[in-house]
Amino acid sequence: MAVITLHYRYLERLVGCDRATILERLPMIGSDIERIDEDHVDVEFFPSRPDLFSVEGVARAMRGFLGLETGLPEYRVTPSGISFSVDPGLASIRPYLGTAVIRGITLDEESILSLMGLQEALHWALGRGRSKVAIGIHDLDRVTPPFRYIAEERTRAFVPLDYDREMTMEEILDEHPKGRAYAAIVRDFPRFPLIVDACNQVLSFPPIINGELTRVTAESRNLLLDTTGTDERAVMTAVNIICTALADAGGTIESVLVSGSHIPTLAPSTRVVSARECSSLLGVEFTPAELSLLLQKMRFGAEPAGDDGVRVTVPCYRADIMHDWDIFEDAAIAFGYENFRAELPPTFTIGQAHPVMAIASMVRSLGTGLGYQEVIPFTLTSERVMYQKMQRPYAPETLGVLHPISEENTIVRTAILPLLIEMLQFNRHRELPQRLFAVGDVVEGLETFHKSAFVSLHPAADFSEAYAVADALCRELSIPYTAGKSGDPAFIEGRRGCLVANGRTVGTFGEIHPAVLNAFELEHPVAAVEIDLRAVPGYPSGQGTP
Amino acid sequence: MDLSLNEKRLLKVLEKIKKGDPATLASHMDTTAESVIQFALLLEGRGLARVEKKVDITYHLTEEGARYAREGLPERQMLNSFNERIPISDLTAHPLSRVGMGQMRKKGWVAIRDGMVEKTGRDAPGEDEIALADLSRGGKGIALLQKRGLICERQETVYLITVTPEGEALAAKGLDLVEEVGTLTREQIIGGAWKDLRLRRYSLETLPRKIYPGKVHPYQRLLDEMRQILLEMGFAEIYGGLVQSSFWNFDALFQPQDHPAREMQDTFFLKEHVPVPEGYEKVRDMHLHGGTTSSTGWGGHWSREKAEQCVLRTHTTSLSIQHLVAHPEPPVKVFCIGRVYRRESIDSTHLAEFEQLEGIVMDRDVTFRHLLGFLKEFYGRMGFEDVRFRPGYFPYTEPSVEPEVYVDGLGWVEMGGAGIFREEVRAPWGVTHPVLAWGLGVSRVAMLRLGLKDLRQLYRTDIDLVRETPSWQQSSEVRGGN
Repeated sequence: MAVITLHYRYLERLVGCDRATILERLPMIGSDIERIDEDHVDVEFFPSRPDLFSVEGVARAMRGFLGLETGLPEYRVTPSGISFSVDPGLASIRPYLGTAVIRGITLDEESILSLMGLQEALHWALGRGRSKVAIGIHDLDRVTPPFRYIAEERTRAFVPLDYDREMTMEEILDEHPKGRAYAAIVRDFPRFPLIVDACNQVLSFPPIINGELTRVTAESRNLLLDTTGTDERAVMTAVNIICTALADAGGTIESVLVSGSHIPTLAPSTRVVSARECSSLLGVEFTPAELSLLLQKMRFGAEPAGDDGVRVTVPCYRADIMHDWDIFEDAAIAFGYENFRAELPPTFTIGQAHPVMAIASMVRSLGTGLGYQEVIPFTLTSERVMYQKMQRPYAPETLGVLHPISEENTIVRTAILPLLIEMLQFNRHRELPQRLFAVGDVVEGLETFHKSAFVSLHPAADFSEAYAVADALCRELSIPYTAGKSGDPAFIEGRRGCLVANGRTVGTFGEIHPAVLNAFELEHPVAAVEIDLRAVPGYPSGQGTP
Repeated sequence: MDLSLNEKRLLKVLEKIKKGDPATLASHMDTTAESVIQFALLLEGRGLARVEKKVDITYHLTEEGARYAREGLPERQMLNSFNERIPISDLTAHPLSRVGMGQMRKKGWVAIRDGMVEKTGRDAPGEDEIALADLSRGGKGIALLQKRGLICERQETVYLITVTPEGEALAAKGLDLVEEVGTLTREQIIGGAWKDLRLRRYSLETLPRKIYPGKVHPYQRLLDEMRQILLEMGFAEIYGGLVQSSFWNFDALFQPQDHPAREMQDTFFLKEHVPVPEGYEKVRDMHLHGGTTSSTGWGGHWSREKAEQCVLRTHTTSLSIQHLVAHPEPPVKVFCIGRVYRRESIDSTHLAEFEQLEGIVMDRDVTFRHLLGFLKEFYGRMGFEDVRFRPGYFPYTEPSVEPEVYVDGLGWVEMGGAGIFREEVRAPWGVTHPVLAWGLGVSRVAMLRLGLKDLRQLYRTDIDLVRETPSWQQSSEVRGGN
């Protein structure tokens, strides 16, 4: 999540009101206040609103929300006369370039921090860790236009940021901290992306690192922005968000000529939405005029168009507006979530339990009736617990996860019994007898279905107890079973059996093998039962398969 | 006074011999010393006898101690091994010199000058030697010997039981020593013999043995309570597989294919693939350009291969959307409580699997206000009286809302998320009416209810938690009272 630091002094100056008012209303625009400090506040904003990842962006939104300045903020762009070429060789590497010139900016400590925070958050939210978009900001006065975005030899050398010697791009990937962090994005390409000026000086090796040459300092007055990436829309959104923030910080935005187009335009887009559709979505009647006023508070341009329409001008930094309903949500936020009157709809419906859940509830009732305590083990486990310690052969229908997080969580359980025995192991020091049961999902192949298992640990636990419990469960659940010979190595030979119903093995029971008890460090006999609940009449078939 | 037969028998003996230790008393009444102590304590409780408990400490020589008691302490043996003076090198050759040399110097029996050891003449037997000769004399020497490991301590509890004047007075009145009956037999009950029997009386002071009823896990009780509320609110329950295709888990919910949740860091991917369903093209178009809606879509590329890869479901919404696809006509009002998976490192506040509750309502003319109505009603029935709403963000709902409930001592606590399905989610399936949806990570409520600090306890259960958590608690009483 994007947590943005807002320094009060700068925020108050940009919003034009005191911090208490801002902090009180901030959560209702869509944010979580994480930490309030003496001179700043840390606020989490949603990933859908990258335009709020800077103090300037938050101030702009809050001015509207608090009614201090509503409607569309206007941004002027004049041509810089500078051009920026894109090498066709980049088409299969990192094809898209966004850029802009920002002139006459005066950065102080707080606006530099805001700009760095914005860049960082955009790299995360829009850039997907720089792979989709990467952003570079340069001191324009240190280099000579026009600029070129090229696919360069991997051995080209320059002085990267924070270093005082030349390194080849390959060396940067191996040695520079940023190089190591982001090497995976470019490592496999035969040539690397590079931005150079008219004198062939290096500005940046996107998406890895800028050159030391164009480092931005408090003395920088004129900036060059580059955004490069693999997704054109995201690359342009990043330009729009940074340019509007820097314009709010006092800069003048100028466009750059890229492949015949002037970038950026910072031009808003237009949608005509229906006030009636908005009213029926939100459950509150709004006329087009009322809806327009609400949207103006959210910094849209909005004016009634016809008897139902509202013409909405969407500022260029609002990357999240994909659909009319995105605009209606903003109307709801402007209206205030606290002002909606909650009510239930009049439609009559009847509740109904799902048969699998109804069967599971019945098993719980039987389990407790038999004096067993329920536990709810994890469904992720390991081959060691599921098979090796149980002396059971690996089942080919076992589902493994591709990138397990630990050795204990490599597969989805095919049975519950091993996890109950593991649970007895956790409870070794607890009073005996211990009688535990569990009911829940297992997966075989891709099919999910319910099983239930029972274990009883005490000095007199034996085969007879297991058989009696298995028999009671089958009788109560109307499973017409016959007991058959079992070869399950988890049990003692001659003290084990399987449950057969309708020609299919639907369960096992017996006395757990002492070698298994040793493996789980148990010191008393264990009587155990496991039943496949698909054997219960009325269990629906085919619902657990994708 | 209701004395048991055994108490009476002991009192009878005490009347005769006044006092005695348990073994003596036991020999008089044909029982064990341990039983006598029990009976005597009962009598003491009635003021009829006095039980004095005394811990006797006795000392015994260790093997080493016994040897020195015979032969003298090492330093004494060494001192006796030479006359006035001896070269230090000769003396260190003595077999006991390792212990004895130091002790001789420490006790001031000898002084060392120019490599010669000389007696000082101050070598009277010390406290330790006096005690070693006779342990019963005690004194400071005992501690010194104990420190040197030459004696060990043995503790013995000794009881002395004495009859009180009240006891004697009662015994003097005569005691009825008729046998008492413990368990009634079938013959005694049906034959009428019970009429002449003296039935033993039991003490209420003796606490009962603790038995634990078989019961449902406290967490499951909470899940059942939520399930019951939703059934009462007219929701039908749905159920489905833990394995889902990325298509149903992500694509059908308009989660872009490059969304961070779809990276292997966050989701358990499986090597298995299943084909995309019929009609998938409309979902693809929605991602690419918004299909026939006012949406722009995500743009970029859409890979069918990526949609076919299976995952362990990251939310039960994958089931909700499939239910909607199968039931596109209103009203649809269903819920699901099921296990979901996130690729998280497990610690006290994060699990890789946990339960999620989810409800959806699709109907003609349902609105955002109705969504808030369902949330308020559900949380109210859960016992959370104060509910408030803040804007939220979820990829497949618009508008989105984060409900919060007020909890004493904690303040406002976020309780899941909710919203109205985006048109991009329902339009490909011909679902034309709004779909209200909300979800809740149930474990958070469980932590509040059960007062747990560690989420893992829900699944890796200490069975004493199940044993000691009452089945009926205040929160459920409130609900049961309605």
